[in-house]
Amino acid sequence: MLRWSGWFVGGVALAVMPWLVGAAFPAQQRYILHILVFTGLFAALALSYDLVVGHVGSLSLAHPAFFGIGAYAAALLATRAGWPFLAGLTAALVCAGLAALLIGVPAFRLAEHSFAIGTLGFALVTHVVVTNWVEFTRGPLCVTGIPRPVIGVGALSLRITTVPHYYWLALTALALVALLYRGLTTFRLGRAFNAVRDDEALAATAGINPLKYRMLSFVIGAALAGGIGALYAHYITVLCPEELTIALTVNLLVILFLGGVGSLRGVVLGAVLFTALPEILRVAPTWRLVIYGLLLLLMVIKWPEGLDAALRRAGRRPRA
Amino acid sequence: MTPLFEVRGLTKRFLGITAVDGVDLALERGELVSLIGPNGSGKTTFFNCVTGFLPVDGGRVFFRGGEITGAPPYRIARLGIARTFQIVSVFARLTVLENLLVFLQQHQEENFAGRLLRSRRIHRLEDQALERARSLLALVGLARVPTTLAGTLSYGQRKLLAFAAALMPEPELILLDEPTAAVNPTMINQMKELILALHRLGKTVLLVEHNMDVVMDISQRVVVLDHGQKIAEGPPQAIRRDPRVLEAYFGR
Repeated sequence: MLRWSGWFVGGVALAVMPWLVGAAFPAQQRYILHILVFTGLFAALALSYDLVVGHVGSLSLAHPAFFGIGAYAAALLATRAGWPFLAGLTAALVCAGLAALLIGVPAFRLAEHSFAIGTLGFALVTHVVVTNWVEFTRGPLCVTGIPRPVIGVGALSLRITTVPHYYWLALTALALVALLYRGLTTFRLGRAFNAVRDDEALAATAGINPLKYRMLSFVIGAALAGGIGALYAHYITVLCPEELTIALTVNLLVILFLGGVGSLRGVVLGAVLFTALPEILRVAPTWRLVIYGLLLLLMVIKWPEGLDAALRRAGRRPRA
Repeated sequence: MTPLFEVRGLTKRFLGITAVDGVDLALERGELVSLIGPNGSGKTTFFNCVTGFLPVDGGRVFFRGGEITGAPPYRIARLGIARTFQIVSVFARLTVLENLLVFLQQHQEENFAGRLLRSRRIHRLEDQALERARSLLALVGLARVPTTLAGTLSYGQRKLLAFAAALMPEPELILLDEPTAAVNPTMINQMKELILALHRLGKTVLLVEHNMDVVMDISQRVVVLDHGQKIAEGPPQAIRRDPRVLEAYFGR
């Protein structure tokens, strides 16, 4: 009962956030919602990454490439071929998923660390191609004029134009990704994924095909990243190759380890902290990044297993 | 009648060293057989070859009359061959109960969509698995710690858990790699009783074991390997007196 009412209140609060923010900080509504859109997209992207890193234990460094493939697929299809938003979004999901399937076949032949290096290579190559294939991607000139998304057709169509609209779109995307994440990582599927992560040989004696499960999480994670890339491209409307750099992997890893690898609540919390903290710290502009770095360092020292584990321990203590 | 499990001329080489050299072995339904031999005689390599963890260089393996040579481990497991590892392994970040459940679910017929959406059928299968898991936990004496993370159990408890997990899908053939290694005398007895209980249930058991008391006490038949070759085979009393076996263990 308590659980459900908590979810309900939280859900309603998130849904009416634009008005709450508008009432509390009228002058900064757009800015705060803009940060929240980024938070939502980052949280969804981190969840898609955690499917691979946290649940089958494959340290893939290729996630920015899948994000970028999706973003470019949607951006180019919308600007050059005039594809509607939902068609482009679907294409982004499919392209990124297919890319993962193609790169996964050779990469999963490599053991742990070599797998990380192999996927890193793919990420770097993708970045180089996007930067230099100027005729196709416009390279450093960036894809510009990506249209605002329109969902549906004719009289029933929904135009996403204002920041609150984008906020609801990002929130919906996050909710869908979180639902899928939960479905995949708990109960029987989650058990099989985690078995592969904990001990591959033992998983095989349990009748689990380790490669199949690693591939499944890798492809689903990549497809989701591609979809989020499409949303991102349609939000910022200008897409440059810099979005695909390895810095994104570092950010995602920080979110995962800050919040707690393999935990839905932890990863979302990590994403919130990661995107909100630097903005809150704008009150001290000169020292902002120094304080931010120190805070991250402190959190990692104080809660090495992540915020989720720390919260769970704190929640248990009074009852025990 | 064809034997339940048959190995013909199994050979495995590592860089020119022949670890398993033309070994034949047949197990009838319900037999309890031990595979012994000095360190490095090829027992574990033999296990790894017949369960698909290592490719073989020669010979064939049959189970229930069908050939399984070179099949991947997960497929061999699904056919009804269970194995445990010498270095005891459990899924450290799953709970005790989940460790058991994961061993049955792959044997239950179901599809991806059903699993993701958790159809009523899946819930019924899950309930059956839970029931079986609870009875196995009671059997090995772990019934009081179902929600503990397996990684936090003691070595002996993990060994019992691995044993119980192997039994989850009701395998016909069970390959146990040193179940009594590195555990205390009380647990050696407990393990012995468990293996005998399996035997009474009509399961076929192949045991790799160093503890001669256990081997001589419970086996119906003993197979001896030395330098990868089968040097003797017979009932425990005969093996105990076999000059080739004594030579392999103690030298001339």
